[in-house]
Amino acid sequence: MAEAKVTMNDVNCICYTKGPGMGAPLQSVAIAARMMSLLWKKELVGVNHCVGHIEMGREITGADNPIVLYVSGGNTQVVAYAEQRYRIFGEALDIAVGNCLDRFARTLEISNDPAPGYNIEQLAKKGKVLLDLPYAVKGMDCSFSGILASIDLLAAELKANPEQRDPLTGDVITTADLCFSLQETVYAMLVEITERAMAHVGSNQVLIVGGVGSNLRLQEMMGLMAKDRGGNVFATDERFCIDNGIMIAHAGLLAFETGFRTALNDSTCTQRFRTDEVFVQWRD
Amino acid sequence: MTMAIQEDLEFPCSLTIDLPLPTARLASAAMQALRVDKELSPLVRRSFSTISPTSHSSEETVLRTEYKATTNRMLRVAVNGFMESLGVVLGVMEELDVDVLGSDAEI
Repeated sequence: MAEAKVTMNDVNCICYTKGPGMGAPLQSVAIAARMMSLLWKKELVGVNHCVGHIEMGREITGADNPIVLYVSGGNTQVVAYAEQRYRIFGEALDIAVGNCLDRFARTLEISNDPAPGYNIEQLAKKGKVLLDLPYAVKGMDCSFSGILASIDLLAAELKANPEQRDPLTGDVITTADLCFSLQETVYAMLVEITERAMAHVGSNQVLIVGGVGSNLRLQEMMGLMAKDRGGNVFATDERFCIDNGIMIAHAGLLAFETGFRTALNDSTCTQRFRTDEVFVQWRD
Repeated sequence: MTMAIQEDLEFPCSLTIDLPLPTARLASAAMQALRVDKELSPLVRRSFSTISPTSHSSEETVLRTEYKATTNRMLRVAVNGFMESLGVVLGVMEELDVDVLGSDAEI
């Protein structure tokens, strides 16, 4: 507030994340938000985390009405706007794609600095052997837990036998090849379900939000598909892809300006909060 | 009277936590903020009130939290979680209240 040269009097409302997410951190924030609301005498606005990502992506990129691919450690959804709701066209049926990548980084004992997904991306750049992994697209949805189990198995085999060679090319297999194969597989799946939604809705624009959206290979693959359809991809840098507070404030403010309020006794938080539960009154 | 006794038999392990605060405004805010979330476990009951610190003063500056649980373990788990939440409440009071930030001045 000091940096922005604003005071409490300039603040219109207190926005907080109502969900979805993990219970304990959500509750901590809700308590802090309620206290501030009571002490500062400002109203509360509960915000859906996924809608926060979407609205931040729209604001930063200027994308008008794209299909949104929201991909992170906790969520994987393909979303399109229709009649005052962000409708979920497809999603991960089990674990999020970021979760799959992060857990594989743990298997390989890759550093978490700056992020496990980032380090997998860098390692994948050195890979060239495309190993056989399950490809689990199910209609409009996709599944990652089987792929994770498969790649974990391959990693264990490689650890036991470092001289292992790819049967097709005869090249020695490296952990870089594992990362490369995993990325190519899961990203191709995401591109497919995004394209399916685009065909369904008649859109040729894609907005990628969420932490995994900062992955340049995903942006590249999505871009190739979108270009084939005469469209393009919108993506933000990691400042806005990754979870941040301003996206909650921004989405909350959009709702506040339409008259939306969250009463104190309704300012709970919930681990399950579907993206389409939000009434998007601020759009036509 | 009978209801109270039955409840105690079901929830024999109890703990009352009295938190003295500087003003009634703070005690009331703490109570309102903390009571919104339901207790997670059906084996634990919790209630809040604000009371005066002594029989002489009329200002209700103390936050009273009463916990009842079926077992000591459940009581301990619930109260430990509550302490975390209390920490957040006190932190906001201490660092982000109106007089700390200055409602007219920039910080």
